[in-house]
Amino acid sequence: MNLTDFTWLAAEYHLPSLYSCRIPMSSMNSVQARAAPGPATVRLALIRTGIEVFGLEYTRDALFPSIRTMEIRIRPPERVALTAQVLHAFKVDEQAGGTQYSTAPISREVAHASGPLTVYIRVSSQETARWTAMLRAIGYWGQSSSLASCIGVYESSPDPKECVTSLRNWKSHRPLEPFFSCILSEFRNGALSWGQVMPVVGAQKVETLTLDIYVWPLVISEQHGRGKLLLRRAFT
Amino acid sequence: MTEKQAIYELSICARVAWQAHSASNAGNNGSNRLMPRHQLLADGHETDACSGNIAKHHHAVLLAEYLEAAGSPLCPACSARDGRRAAALIDQPAYRDLTLERIVRECGVCDAHGFLVTAKNAASDGSAEARQRLSKHSLIEFSFALALPGCHTETAQLFTRSGESKEEGQMLMKMSARSGEYAICVRYKCAGIGLDTERWRAALFDEQERLTRHRAVLAALSDSLLSPQGALTATMLPHLTGLRGAIALCTTVGRAPLYSALQEDFVERLSALADEACTVYPFETIDAFHRHMQALIEKTCPSMPTACRTPLEK
Repeated sequence: MNLTDFTWLAAEYHLPSLYSCRIPMSSMNSVQARAAPGPATVRLALIRTGIEVFGLEYTRDALFPSIRTMEIRIRPPERVALTAQVLHAFKVDEQAGGTQYSTAPISREVAHASGPLTVYIRVSSQETARWTAMLRAIGYWGQSSSLASCIGVYESSPDPKECVTSLRNWKSHRPLEPFFSCILSEFRNGALSWGQVMPVVGAQKVETLTLDIYVWPLVISEQHGRGKLLLRRAFT
Repeated sequence: MTEKQAIYELSICARVAWQAHSASNAGNNGSNRLMPRHQLLADGHETDACSGNIAKHHHAVLLAEYLEAAGSPLCPACSARDGRRAAALIDQPAYRDLTLERIVRECGVCDAHGFLVTAKNAASDGSAEARQRLSKHSLIEFSFALALPGCHTETAQLFTRSGESKEEGQMLMKMSARSGEYAICVRYKCAGIGLDTERWRAALFDEQERLTRHRAVLAALSDSLLSPQGALTATMLPHLTGLRGAIALCTTVGRAPLYSALQEDFVERLSALADEACTVYPFETIDAFHRHMQALIEKTCPSMPTACRTPLEK
């Protein structure tokens, strides 16, 4: 077998309750949520679960080089309902040394989904077992209370028409208007070092993420009070 | 000492019935209307909801009480029930060089419910040093409680209260008393007790103390479901009228399954996931749930992940 053979692994996640993945750049006082995690969120989740399952050194030395460069595709759930919830938030006052907190009501969108969220990663065919173990161990997307449960990992190629795509890669001449779009983050490039992604005190701060506009294969079905319902529809 | 079953993670998926409560609200409209919390579901129904934040807060308070009763150490912030937890200590001289290991060793509430000490850059004039971010994710997570569509109702109750003086007169306020059957999920990552879960390294090497904390977390979790708490419970303590669902235990690294109790067949689906690494205990009543939790308190201990064991233990 050729050692450079690659295969797509698909991991399906059941989202049993509400979840909230913040859209980058949205105000902390009025948080907008996306329908599913973006590519950088998937890479960071793989790093986190890699450390848990295989240990820090193995993740840093053996897994991280693949995690930072692997191809990722994300297919959102069939239906996603977004509702803005008023929450009680604590804000750290840095001027006071980080020990003073103020409290204020904020608005944060939270999502409820039906149908699984599917994450696809392209990995070496020789290493599907270890990536399967890591995909199975991912327990949340976004906030740690955004519970997720992996219901299956199998080999399958993504359908590009049903996965989120960067506006840069949008090839169709059809109008974008009905599709839900938002800013997502992605690793800046495939040459990021471990120390840049997992910084330590005193290290020079480096921008590790880039922001771009992405289009989701989701259309707004209805506005419902303070909420909106999105339905998955393949790009044409 | 009898051999205890080491568990890595535990989850509870349940339907809980609360009557006439106002446990979680979305704020108020001035001083005359308290707004209940609603959530749009993916099937288009708008349903009643209770935030998981309030359940987590209640669990943390109960946990502190159990740990104190067991003689387990708490940091000064958690002893005073300060919600900032370890972050409240960093300006105290005795905690200037605070480390994650020290926080985990010295406080069972910070260990179980997590904490965040924010990073800080050094001041350009040298008056303040840089600070490394110290954090630990919570080991126990509560979902929103979502009322089953068609199984909830809301009654506006008129409350009156008197002002402080005669001139202020009587104030009227409408508050909703809500009733329904709610779907909830809870996840407890037992293996993270006493660990730095950013690096998955052991910070607490005393297995007896890990066991004490684990038992306290389970006892507080049992109480949280059997004795509901939340907003306005001083005058609208919920009537608990039903609790059914399933407890899933995972004994090896990985996640205990979660499946929404909004689905009619959630107990059957969870039960079908049982295998040699995952045990599922269905329950239909509050007493059956209580018996399962008592058995878990007596017969289980938190597992130590392989990466954290000493070379002799591996």
